Parts: sequence; structure tokens; C-alpha cells
Amino acid sequence: MSGSSNVGMHIDHNVKEDPEKIAEFEAKIANGTLLEADDWMPQAYRTGMLKMAEHHANSEIIGALPEGEWITRAPSLLRKLALTAKVQDEIGHGQMLYRVSQDLGKSRDLMLRDLITGKTKYHNVFNYPAPTWGDITMIQWLIDGAAILNQKSLADGAYGPYVRTMRRINMEEAFHFKSGEDMVLTLMTGTPMQRQMGQDAFDRWWYPSLMFFGPPDKPNCESLPPMRWRMKTVSNDNLRQRFINRFAPAALDLGLKIHVVEKDENGLVISKKIDPNLKLDESTGNWSFTEPDWEEFYRVIRGNGPCNKQRLGLRRFSYEQGRWVRQAIRQGSTAMPPAA
Amino acid sequence: MNTLPENLKKPLTNLLLSVADDKLMLGHRNSDWTGLAPILEEDIAFSSLAQDEIAHAQTLYELISSLTGKSADETAYGRSADEYRCATIVELPDDYNWAVAIARRFFCDHFDLLRLKRLSKSSYKPLADLASRLHAEEKVHVQHVDAWMVRLGHGNDDSKQRLQDALDTIGPYAPMLFEQVDGEAELVEAGIYPQLENEMFIIWCDDLQQVAQQSGLNLTLAAPDADAKGGRRGLHSEHFAPLLDEMCEVYRLEPGAAW
Repeated sequence: MSGSSNVGMHIDHNVKEDPEKIAEFEAKIANGTLLEADDWMPQAYRTGMLKMAEHHANSEIIGALPEGEWITRAPSLLRKLALTAKVQDEIGHGQMLYRVSQDLGKSRDLMLRDLITGKTKYHNVFNYPAPTWGDITMIQWLIDGAAILNQKSLADGAYGPYVRTMRRINMEEAFHFKSGEDMVLTLMTGTPMQRQMGQDAFDRWWYPSLMFFGPPDKPNCESLPPMRWRMKTVSNDNLRQRFINRFAPAALDLGLKIHVVEKDENGLVISKKIDPNLKLDESTGNWSFTEPDWEEFYRVIRGNGPCNKQRLGLRRFSYEQGRWVRQAIRQGSTAMPPAA
Repeated sequence: MNTLPENLKKPLTNLLLSVADDKLMLGHRNSDWTGLAPILEEDIAFSSLAQDEIAHAQTLYELISSLTGKSADETAYGRSADEYRCATIVELPDDYNWAVAIARRFFCDHFDLLRLKRLSKSSYKPLADLASRLHAEEKVHVQHVDAWMVRLGHGNDDSKQRLQDALDTIGPYAPMLFEQVDGEAELVEAGIYPQLENEMFIIWCDDLQQVAQQSGLNLTLAAPDADAKGGRRGLHSEHFAPLLDEMCEVYRLEPGAAW
């Protein structure tokens, strides 16, 4: 690897940070001052924020793909327009987050290359298939609902550029979620065939939604750097519980059944039964549930999910198809538009 | 005029369908780039153009509704292939070739701008009002695509050659944008689709040639064959039926259902 390809990614664990500067840095975070890109920060913080923002940016542009495939099949003019605008928003979020990452020291082209060569990751949830319009509906309702919970907590973080980006993204996500609510309501109050389509898609997406928040927390998660330095502000399990408390009753109200499912290697459901553990504890207000299959989670993260190859393949295709255009612009003798 | 003579309803429906269908199919093809364009910033811009086209089509279908009584969605999704009035150039796949996507927009946007200018001067007021609004947005489309023509034409040898190839491939389909719908002459005569100060084909050629010249590209445009039958009269390319099948895949699962 050439030196430049490692810019910003190298963590040197032998770096001895100045304890006084660390104390000053942690005091800033404690009193709620937002950190800016050119402020002093421990190397582990800068590297960690870059990894986080880059992973988030990657997730936005990969997340555009499963829904993007349905733009050409959206069943009405309104849905076609809304879905195109929604996927466009995700690309816009990716663009903003790559800008945040660029300011932390890594070039956009390198980030895109690292993504398509598998050096960096993106959110696991996008490695599941979306075989029907029902899946697009559930993605906009459940996954966008989960994303809002997560991103609202991230907007309370300490790194200013990322926090401001989260605030802006959250405003747009609120629209996506409203659109998702409208879609799921329309589907679940539709014909028997439409309601079945909704249930089948819900069965495919319920567990990926629960896994969305990441694996169970370590017992000391609040004292580890990500939370101590407010890169994250709420633990995975806490966010997951908030999600279930909101979406389990909403799903039941819509007439959906909440199943524990077994899936084949293509991510399609082969057997299901009503979740025997799903119930509301009146004293805490928390819903209990059957835990996701965390082995599956790690299997998908390692690249063996139903759609990992497909998603990265399409991303690579786009990168390769557009390469000549980017080269032409860099080498262009003029970037000026013609006179009006 | 605010009400339309009965004998002009059918010709006007045909004309409006040709405008709306061109826009829907171009928007449909272009929306497929959302998430896959060469540069993130352009991905966003190009998606906005696609959304504009689909939204324009939607408002035009609503105007058509006032003539036919069919809803906009039913008109957009519920016809058989030979009932569509779009030109072949908007039906063609671009195979994610950016040069082809740009070349196609170049021919279509310049054509659409002139067509909307004519419609904005229509004696049928609801149409003139709508077309004026769409014309203002279409100007932005033309600026955007012209900027890309110059950018790629003056990019490097490779981009210039790719764009030239795309113009040569797509160009022969472009003059059929001018194929007349049934009853068009009557609409022209009634001032519903008034002529411009000069022949529209000549203005269009001049506009295109000016940008091609600025971009260092060659353009040969033959006048449309007046007898050739194409999309405006329901005769479509082999690419159209698969396009329609894909677009209507979900709609046709449960026709009449709300989605």
C-alpha cells in the first residue's frame, strides 16, 4: 500500500497523547461544546469519527440500491416520484457524509474504492433482498423508522460537522418515514393480496430491523471511547428496546403478525411461528421479544449475506461506468457552461 | 378560450399524450440512474431532472383527465402499448452509458423547450397556463444538458469520442420527435398549437448546432420523413413493450387497487 492510500486510516496504538490535552478535550465534550475538524483531538477520536462517518456515507449510497431497483416499477405516479426523491435524498446524505469524512482526511475517490473492494463496510441491513413492492414499503417504514431513532441519538453527539449533518438528515428522514407510514397503511388496508404481500415483507424485515442497531452491548459500553467521547450517545440495546416499544404495537394495530422466522441462504422465509416471547410488561412499558439470530448477523457482516455480492457488484459497476466521466472532468479544458 | 370545441378534443388528447408520454418515458429512463450516476452531485441533479419530467407528465395527464374522464394513473399505467404517443428516442435503453443519456436529453430537451413555448401561446387557456410553468422549468434542463455537452466535448479525447458516438447513434431517432399526431393540423389552425416565428424544425436544428459547435462535435440532422409512421401514431420500437411491462409490473398485479 502506498502511503497516500492509508491517509487517516492508520491507528498507531503507541501514540502517547498529551494527558493535559486529553483532559481539555474531555472537558469540552463534558460541557457540550461541539468539536470542529481543525480542533485538537486524540488520534483515536479522529480515526474513529472518520470510520464512523465513512461507514455511514457508504451505507447511504449502498442503501440507495435496493430501493433504487424499484423506481422503474413503482405502481403510481405519486409513488414513482416519491421513491425517486427518496433515493435521491439517500445519495444526498451520502454526499454530505463523504464531505464530513473528506474533512477528516480521506479522499472521496479512495473511500469509494475502499467500499467496492470490500476494505470498508456499510450497514448490514442492506444485504437483504427486496423481492416485492411490500419490501420497499417495509424498508421505508421499519428501516427508516430505525434509522431515525439511531440518527436522532447521533445528533446529540460531540463532533460538530457530523452533528449538523445528522440534524439535516433527520429532517429529510422524517419525510421518508411519513411516506413509509402512508405506504404501509395503504398496503395493509388494501386487497387480501396486498395485505399478504405486506405480511410476507414484514416477516423478511422485522429481524433485520432489530439487528439494525448492532449486536448486544458490552457491559461497560458507557465508559468505552465511543460513548465516553459522545461519538455515540445511546447504547445498541437501549435503541433496540425503544424501537420495539414503538413498532411492535404499531404493527399489531395494522393487523400484522410478528413472527420468529427461519430463512434460506437467499434471505427468503422458509418457516415461521408467532413470537412466543412478544409481550408488553405493563410495569416497565417495555415489550419483550425473541432475540435476533446473532450468528446470522455476523455471517452477513463477514460478506456471506443474501445480497452482499449483488450490492457491491452494482456499486462497482457504477464506479467503473462513470470513471471516464470523472477523468474527463478532471482533465477538461473548460468547466464553464455555455453562455445563456 | 376556456372550453374546447368537441371536434378538437380527440386531436388535443393525442397531442397532450405525445407530450406527457415523452416526458414520462424520458423521466422513467433517467430515474433509473438515481443512485448510479458518475458523480454524487450529478446523481442528485440528474434525479431532479427525472422527477421534473415525471411531475410534468403527471400534470399533463391531469389535464388529459379533464378531456377523457380517466384518472392520471390510469392514463399513465393502464393503456396498451399502441395507445401511447411517445417517440422512439425516449424508449431506447441507455445501458448506463452516460454519453447516451446526455445525448438523448440534448435532443429531447431542446425539442421540448420549443414545443412548450408553442403550447404556452395556446388559445386554450388551461393548456397555455400549464405550459408556461413547465417551459420555465424546461429552460433549466436545457442549460444543464448544454453544460454537459460542452464539458464532455472539451473534456479529453475519450469523452469527446464517446459523446460523438452517442450523438451518431441516437441522432437518427431524433427527427421523429417531429412526427405529427393525428389531427395536429387542426390544432395548429385553431391556435391551440400555434406555430413559432419560424419552422420549429429549423429553430431546433439551429439551437442544437450552436451547442454542438461550442462543444467541438459534429451533428447531421435530416428533416423528418413526413410519411414515416412512428410512436406518435402508436407504432413503437421493440424496446417499448419491455419498458411498459417493467413500469406496470406492480400496477397490473391488482388493477384499480390503491398502492
